Amino acid sequence: MTLYEKIKAIYPSLEDKDFLTVITLQNDSNGAGDYIKEWNHPTLVKPTQEQLDAIK
Amino acid sequence: MSSIVISGDTSGAITLAAPSVAGTNTATLPAAAGTVMVSGNMPAFSYYLSSSQNITAATWTKITFNTKTFDTNNNFDSATNYRFTPTVAGYYQINVIYASNSTGSNPIYSAVAIYKNGSALNYAYQGTSAAFACPSISTIIYFNGSTDYVEFYAYMYGGTGTLQAYGGSLYTYVGGSMLRSA
Repeated sequence: MTLYEKIKAIYPSLEDKDFLTVITLQNDSNGAGDYIKEWNHPTLVKPTQEQLDAIK
Repeated sequence: MSSIVISGDTSGAITLAAPSVAGTNTATLPAAAGTVMVSGNMPAFSYYLSSSQNITAATWTKITFNTKTFDTNNNFDSATNYRFTPTVAGYYQINVIYASNSTGSNPIYSAVAIYKNGSALNYAYQGTSAAFACPSISTIIYFNGSTDYVEFYAYMYGGTGTLQAYGGSLYTYVGGSMLRSA
């Protein structure tokens, strides 16, 4: 499951457009994988690593 | 006299030569200090993505431009960081084309970005009713000739199946050239 899918599972109300406006996910193609570069959602808090790891 | 030769103090020489055609031509140097740029020291480069690169949905992913068409000053890292770091300061025209493709059939929303020194500088978005889109950016960027660099990121969502930056010299490519010195 990708980081994007995990975040959508935690916050089903998120829309795809949110990932272009208030949330930025990034992958630098260096083997480190996807990460949250910016989280500026006005109401939803950035998920913790524990929350993300709990999603399988 | 058909040419003037200026010899360096220790080595090297510059030759100013008149063309071997009739008539008088005047080249006036501007009232400015700096390095005179001629075609031989104005970097230019062109690279492309050799095979399709998978893009994670809704995730800005660095495009791994890995195949050289030309690179006159060897300023593009096509093996590790996939970035252009010119060593001659000045203003550069930079162009990037991102052919985004979904192996499924649903519409996709695609975007390409130029990042300068790790931060987004320019975006181009394109939504389509097909499974294929080609957002592109053409812009002018200043580089300090030492630490400034640019990278190129792709973005997609929607579609079904695998999301890709479509590989091949005809599809996903980047290029640039120096326009003028700093």
